[in-house]
Amino acid sequence: MSTDLQDAVAATLPGAKRQSATRTRLWGWLLLPPAAWMIVFFVSSILIVVALSFGTVNANGRPAFGTSLANYQALMNTTYLTVFIRSLVYSVTTVVLCMFIGYPVAYAIALHGGKYKNALIAALVIPFFASYLIRMYAWSTLLSDEGLVNQALHTVGFTDGVQFLNTPGAVVAGLVYGFVVFMILPIYASLERMDIALIEAGKDLYHSPLRTFFAVTVPATRAGVLGGVLLVFLPALGDFVSAQLLGGPSTFMIGNLIQQQFFESQNQPLGSALTVVLMLALLVFMVFYLRATQRQNRET
Amino acid sequence: MAATTIATEAKTTHSTSRRRRSVEGKPFFAVAFTALFFVLLYVPIVVVILFSFNSKKSLSVFGGFSNRWYVQFFNDEGLQSSLRASLMIASIAMVGALLLGTMLALALERVSSRPARAVGTVSLVPLVTPEIVTGVAALLFFTGLGLKLSLVTVIIAEITFSISYVAVIVRGRLSSMSGEVEEAARDLGCTSWQALRFVTLPTIMPALIAAGLLVFALVFDDFVLAFFTTGVDPQPLSVRIYSEIRLTISPAINAVGTCMLAVSVLLVALSLVIPRLFGRKDSSLDLISGG
Repeated sequence: MSTDLQDAVAATLPGAKRQSATRTRLWGWLLLPPAAWMIVFFVSSILIVVALSFGTVNANGRPAFGTSLANYQALMNTTYLTVFIRSLVYSVTTVVLCMFIGYPVAYAIALHGGKYKNALIAALVIPFFASYLIRMYAWSTLLSDEGLVNQALHTVGFTDGVQFLNTPGAVVAGLVYGFVVFMILPIYASLERMDIALIEAGKDLYHSPLRTFFAVTVPATRAGVLGGVLLVFLPALGDFVSAQLLGGPSTFMIGNLIQQQFFESQNQPLGSALTVVLMLALLVFMVFYLRATQRQNRET
Repeated sequence: MAATTIATEAKTTHSTSRRRRSVEGKPFFAVAFTALFFVLLYVPIVVVILFSFNSKKSLSVFGGFSNRWYVQFFNDEGLQSSLRASLMIASIAMVGALLLGTMLALALERVSSRPARAVGTVSLVPLVTPEIVTGVAALLFFTGLGLKLSLVTVIIAEITFSISYVAVIVRGRLSSMSGEVEEAARDLGCTSWQALRFVTLPTIMPALIAAGLLVFALVFDDFVLAFFTTGVDPQPLSVRIYSEIRLTISPAINAVGTCMLAVSVLLVALSLVIPRLFGRKDSSLDLISGG
């Protein structure tokens, strides 16, 4: 029933208007507890982070609110800037690798999964609900100097062994392993939604399957790829577990610095400033992202 | 951790997909690549499970099957109290998030006032916020109020983070439900509450169960939020594992990990299967995805 029609019918019935008003009030009351919860525990806590980033640590080591820019000035040195740039490089590399790994996988499942399609997607999703920590720990034992991978390399002749842990490669590999599903699912969804006639028309037009793929399939799934970029980049930039378990101080990311300020240096205001920098970086990324998706919507 | 949200996108249209097979030849590269991908996806998990049964105290040499690490895990009072703590956190957070998330979903589906839309937007923000930010914020909030960090603070933080998941999944189910059914119930004399209790809730029940199981699995496994908001004793299982693997290498961790994997796999598999038990013919993945 359309709302216009509903309103028209409602107007003719005595007491109907009153009833719909109470109904809206009922739903309004339902909104109150979750809204209050989110405002108290989420919105206000984020505001506290922003406020404390302008604070100081007083003489007895306790954090205090203030209006000082000292924390942000402290971040403007090469040590911190190196870590910021490193975090960005690792995250962007992770996104690109996820794209190159995720696209063929999503493509194979969506177009050639046949009756196993749902089973394959379930097989893909289930490991990602298993503890991220346990999965990172598993890689750290596999890749360690005496781990199974090095043993296998030893038996095929690489007697020197390869050091995997504490390298940027291991950290990025951990991030890719941790978040690649967030790239595959949106691409899979957009392939599923794609009109099959487009590929048929592409075949007629371009003949070559490869040209059809790049001229038809890839543009048609751009929204899925963009969605995946967002969903991989956000958690990758804030991650600290991969760098902690698979890397070392030379591969630390911004998340490790934040963690250190809160649990080792006990400098909460500086940790807050680092968190604000991370949030700002993500905000800038989101703005560009939304622009890109809007442009995409206008084009299609 | 946002797998449920993106899965929202993953809806299948079966009619076109069957035709699709004939359109393109099998690209062997993509198929072989996918096979390799699945092998790499499962290798670390299989290794954890295999070495949890290792009779040797080694993480690289397998010396035969034994249950010694499980015996050690079940006799370790510290690990056991952490396991109980994690189960308690996940259960309470599941109930809390289900209650608040369902309220949010019901209200957002029906109230379109400006404040309601603002709440709707804010409730999506935790889904795109890295966990470390949420963790830092919760830590500062609790210590700022002078609260002692404990399992209670972990539970509050986990509920805050899970409300959005529940709301997204339940809204997906609600939006596919016709409003006329509830309308009809009211025409037949139901009050708004009765319509909600006897018509709407039974309809969204599969989504509630799936959302509950997923929240339990996510919270039970969660490390980052728990790490930032937990007190000293007892610590949630994931935090305890983290401190142990940084200190020593113990195969008992493999046994703990295998148990955690079993819990999450069971819960996620249940959340995939349950809609079928409710006689829904459409893909069970749609449900996880809120379809």
